[in-house]
Amino acid sequence: MSKELIRLRDCVMSYGDEVVLDHINLYINDKEFLTLLGPSGCGKTTTLRIIGGFLSPTAGDILFDGVRINDVPPHRRAVNTVFQRYALFPHLNVFENVAFGLRIPKDGPDGRKVKVPEREIHNRVMEMLETVNLKGFEKRPVSALSGGQQQRVAIARALVNRPRVLLLDEPLGALDMRLRKDMQNELKRIQQEMEITFIYVTHDQEEALAMSDTVVVMDGGRIQQIGTPEDIYNEPKNAFVADFIGESNIIDGVMRADGVVEIFNRKFQCLDKGFGRDEPVDVVIRPEDVDIVDEAAGQLRGTVTSVTFKGVHYDTIVDFYGFKWLIQTTDYCPVDSRIGIKIDPDGIHVMRKSQYSGMFGDYSSYSEEYEELDVVEDESGEGEGDDPWEGGYEE
Amino acid sequence: MRNKRGWFAFPYVIWMALFVVVPIVIMAVYAFTAADPITNATYPTVDNFTGMGVYLNVFLRSFWLAVVATLVCLLIGYPVSYWMAKEGPRFQRLAMALIMLPMWMNFLLRTYSWMSILENNGLLNQLFRTIGVIDLYNRVAPFFVDLRNVFVTYFGGVTTNFVPIDHFQFIGTSGAVVLGMVYNYLPFMILPIYSVIVKLDSSLIEAARDLGADSARVFRKVIFPLSLPGILSGVTMVFVPSVSTFAISSLLGGGKQTMLGDLIELQFLGGAYNPHLGAAISMVMMVIVVVCMVVMNHFGEGEEQAVML
Amino acid sequence: MKKQSRLGGRLFIGLTFLFLYLPIFLLIVFSFNAGDSSAVWKGFSLDWYKALFQNRLIMESLYTTLLVSLLATAIATVAGTFAAIGLYSLSRRKRDALLVVNDIPMMNADIVTGVSLCLFFVAFFQGWGAFAQWFNGVQSAIELPTRLTLGFGTMLLAHISFNIPYVILNVAPKLRQMDKNLVDAAQDLGCTWMQAFWKVILPEIKPGIVSGALIAFTMSIDDFVISYFTAGSSTSTLAMRIYSMTKKRITPEVNAVSTLLFLSVLLLLALNSAREARQERRAARQEIREPSFFEKLSMRLSSPAWKWIRRGGLAAMACAFVAVVALLTGAAWSQPVVNVCSWGEYIDEELITQFEAETGIRVNYQTAESNEALYSLLKSGGADYDVIVPSDYMISQLLEEGMLEELDYSRIPNFEKIDPRFRNLPYDPENKYTVPYSWGTLGLIYNASMVEEEPDSWGALYDDQYAGGVLLINNSRDALAAALLHLGYSVNTTDEGEIREAFSLVADASRRGVFQGKVMDQVFQKMEGGNAAIATYYAGDYLSMLDNQADGVDLRYVIPEEGANWFVDAMCVLKDAPHYDSAMKWINFIASTDANLANMYYIGYASPNTEALERYPDYYREREEGEELDPELYEIMAAPPEVLERCEMYTVLPPATRALYNELWIQLGT
Repeated sequence: MSKELIRLRDCVMSYGDEVVLDHINLYINDKEFLTLLGPSGCGKTTTLRIIGGFLSPTAGDILFDGVRINDVPPHRRAVNTVFQRYALFPHLNVFENVAFGLRIPKDGPDGRKVKVPEREIHNRVMEMLETVNLKGFEKRPVSALSGGQQQRVAIARALVNRPRVLLLDEPLGALDMRLRKDMQNELKRIQQEMEITFIYVTHDQEEALAMSDTVVVMDGGRIQQIGTPEDIYNEPKNAFVADFIGESNIIDGVMRADGVVEIFNRKFQCLDKGFGRDEPVDVVIRPEDVDIVDEAAGQLRGTVTSVTFKGVHYDTIVDFYGFKWLIQTTDYCPVDSRIGIKIDPDGIHVMRKSQYSGMFGDYSSYSEEYEELDVVEDESGEGEGDDPWEGGYEE
Repeated sequence: MRNKRGWFAFPYVIWMALFVVVPIVIMAVYAFTAADPITNATYPTVDNFTGMGVYLNVFLRSFWLAVVATLVCLLIGYPVSYWMAKEGPRFQRLAMALIMLPMWMNFLLRTYSWMSILENNGLLNQLFRTIGVIDLYNRVAPFFVDLRNVFVTYFGGVTTNFVPIDHFQFIGTSGAVVLGMVYNYLPFMILPIYSVIVKLDSSLIEAARDLGADSARVFRKVIFPLSLPGILSGVTMVFVPSVSTFAISSLLGGGKQTMLGDLIELQFLGGAYNPHLGAAISMVMMVIVVVCMVVMNHFGEGEEQAVML
Repeated sequence: MKKQSRLGGRLFIGLTFLFLYLPIFLLIVFSFNAGDSSAVWKGFSLDWYKALFQNRLIMESLYTTLLVSLLATAIATVAGTFAAIGLYSLSRRKRDALLVVNDIPMMNADIVTGVSLCLFFVAFFQGWGAFAQWFNGVQSAIELPTRLTLGFGTMLLAHISFNIPYVILNVAPKLRQMDKNLVDAAQDLGCTWMQAFWKVILPEIKPGIVSGALIAFTMSIDDFVISYFTAGSSTSTLAMRIYSMTKKRITPEVNAVSTLLFLSVLLLLALNSAREARQERRAARQEIREPSFFEKLSMRLSSPAWKWIRRGGLAAMACAFVAVVALLTGAAWSQPVVNVCSWGEYIDEELITQFEAETGIRVNYQTAESNEALYSLLKSGGADYDVIVPSDYMISQLLEEGMLEELDYSRIPNFEKIDPRFRNLPYDPENKYTVPYSWGTLGLIYNASMVEEEPDSWGALYDDQYAGGVLLINNSRDALAAALLHLGYSVNTTDEGEIREAFSLVADASRRGVFQGKVMDQVFQKMEGGNAAIATYYAGDYLSMLDNQADGVDLRYVIPEEGANWFVDAMCVLKDAPHYDSAMKWINFIASTDANLANMYYIGYASPNTEALERYPDYYREREEGEELDPELYEIMAAPPEVLERCEMYTVLPPATRALYNELWIQLGT
């Protein structure tokens, strides 16, 4: 259907011994909304900067429309970026910030520099400001704008150049919850209106699931999984993806036969096939896929250790044989009560063992894990090496 | 991208190596060699250092006068900075400008301006003569001389006769040299202290007050410790030029208050040509200054990024 | 209570400012003094301003100061800015190491920086000399200069070196504060790195650059010590000029130049603060800022008319800069020059002007403080003089070390007029190297109104009754000569015991506080102003002191009964003098009868020119409009043979004795 626009082929990025990107292979289709998702230091920003032209990969190629562009400098790429914290030019006002790119003479078809006429600059800037709902702000100094408004200026400044691809580096990271939700919708709308490719970097899985056509989950410089939001959520490839996307209980299991997995010495029906007989596997059970039943009727029996009211449901932590599960249910079960659970076959997802096995999935330290998800990614984690102006943001 | 503009620093690195590091190395080479007075051939030696004991007095005087000048600068500079920081922005800007202003006149001009004041027949002595201070001294001092003579006749010793004076001796005294240093280097003390104090978060002071500290305690426990980096940098900026000065001592010290700077100058462009000895003295001075600064910065651990100007 | 403490604070600040500004205020007041004293008010006049603009030495040094400060600031600002950007592209470890080196010139004492640079340049020049000789030997296409000396260039290099760190120190924080993504953003929007630099980085770090440049300029203007050690002998900044003036007589021209400097700085400051206040008001009203200078510049540069300039923009700027510098130095080069080094107040400056007008040769006239200081200058490689005027014994020493060039007497016809008494003297027995300039005696100068009985012995110098009133001559040879004579020894003794005995005579007196100070040319100011009672100095200078003595001062000159030193100062040319031809012309000009008469009249030293000696009384009458020359004074100036009988001329001392002199002399100050 849509055609391929960008391809990363075996891209490696390393600084000395430190490998930031480890053989990345990725293609991006035209007019796609693709999200690079992962914790800080996973290499997502590096990938974005390679596409933007701010870094060139240590090894491997990057192709744009089938042409290798490793050595093409940023200002010659049909790509524009919305930077983390916007990087608006403090010495210019809103209009001049947006007009910045248009005022740079471009190579014309005959090789001579071509300037955009002032009239056209004005029209395009005003039109763009209207698109991002900033009409009437053109004469303001950017320092006088709110975070959301600055965000819009940054988007307008990038889009006014009519790039084929817009790169967005954690653009909503500095906004508060409400604004972030609004901007998510706004971005999606703009992407569809402008009909261009968005490559979006975030560590926020909700954001990724809500906006993307395709999600690329990264960790440790590697791609862990590529897929639609539904695939990623429902069919995580390994414990890392399962844990990073949404909540999951990840339990050691053994595949006894196609469609039969054994957990805690008990056999469960599942839909997964194609594993070896008696192969040890990771089993993912999403908290909302577990039904609480009477102790006697349950497939497994455990004790409730904590209950938190979450509005729509209760987060209930249940201890099964020393392993703590998170269960999301609308039924209230008091602490210390004995309960049983039932899991439908389609609620069980079986994954092969990976390097991440055993690292996630236990909710013994439940509250900490929750907080960890809210930690805003800080750029220092991306590795010192990739920015020449390190130590920025020092106020 | 990382090293893309790193080469911008390359000419600078070469430059600094050539004009900062190499000269110091050459100076060290000179310090550890001597020239034969007849053949002019140089040979390695440490005599320049071992023979330096002769100048112990000069070292002591230089450091002593520099310490006094630094203390006086601190005693004047700190209150000025402190009170200046309390004033309104307009006052502060004006005061800052007024403090910087003399620096655009060459420091030799500033020192020269004191010469005409401190001379035996200078403005200050003229003033004292006119308002009768000198007469007063001539009338009062004999009494003390007589008093001393009475003691001396009883306890042994030499009696002295009172000689009336017609001026006070200012020029040529160590006091005049210290005055010259304080006058020239006071701005170097005020500027760093002021820039630290003015940036102090007023909420800290409010917090201290809220916790029950009176103003004396607020100053002692909060303001002063926090302004320490400024003090350290001010002390360095006054002490280093003071200890090494030579023009001030020769102008206001009448050539009698020989200091390290004079000694060094004498070896290079003065009457006693011996660059090897001059280099050795410079080396020793450099080392002592560095040690002083390391010790001082040790006091203000972690706050070494003291504000420059 | 709060109000009170505020008042106290203001009072304290006010007193401090009074302390800071009172001397400057007095300096300014006395620049308008009709008299030539900086302490006695004689009425209002603008004479010193007029004199200032006619004083070539001061004006030249002012020009040098401004030129070196501006050039050093401009170069250091550009270099420092780029260096700062470069530094921030390096890894933290490398950067921190470099920043330590960056701190060295700022933290090192000026004198250490100056001395180390001086030694570095001299060492480099030596190496260069050897290289150039070899290079000129192996090929003949390019002739490299073999002799480089300290001068404007080395001083400029030194200034740039100590300015760059200040620029970096001011630019670096701005770079650190700058959003690291701004450059990426600009490039992302289509800028090349260079465009991003002009459009984004520069406006962002501009405040840092401006304050860095300002501090660099301040440091350059304020510097004396580093210039003093790196400028060599033929370049003087204003500070160096004043320093050499403080060693003799400071005229209120210095007050005038200070006043002008002060007022221009004040004006600049006032303009700047007015501008700042305006900006602040605008900021307060939240008005839109008008485009900054750089923005305007870049807008203008992007207009089509400027396109061709912008194309070669940097190249054009560089060319213009090089052209200006080349023009300045070229102008100096194209004109023939002679570098002369003499003593303070030792020439009628009219003669310089006259010589320049007659020959078209520019005279670069410098002064040294003493024979020993001159020797140091020559040895340290800082001197590129052609003609020097050392005294007899120093000539011997210089000849011994092979530092003088033979003269071409066929081009100095005026040598014929030199009295035979002053030819073939012991220092130059065959008279191949020297043309006498002047001669005289060393004696006691005293202020008759400050001494009770007229001294007639060198012993007066060590007499407690003049405690604090005696000026010791700051020159080991003369100071010890007086003591040696007092003890009845020869001034040329090499006996260590005798020398040490003489020294302890001086040292004891020094310890007892007899001496007010050690002075050379400062003696003028001190004696004329009645600031000291007795001094040792030269007869000729006594005569010029007489003309300037203040009211109530009664200066007299005596050759003590123990005898004294008589001396001849003679013009010589240094080996490898760069302007030998000009030097011959200058020597011949100065040896002429007219020049000798003018010099005698002006400096008070006797001339070695027979005609001039004969005609001087008439010349004096002419210049003084009929007033007769006092024969007694003329005898002081040109001592009659029977007086010279009692006097001894210095001969060069062997190196060991010279070393002893130096060692003892330094001890005196400690």
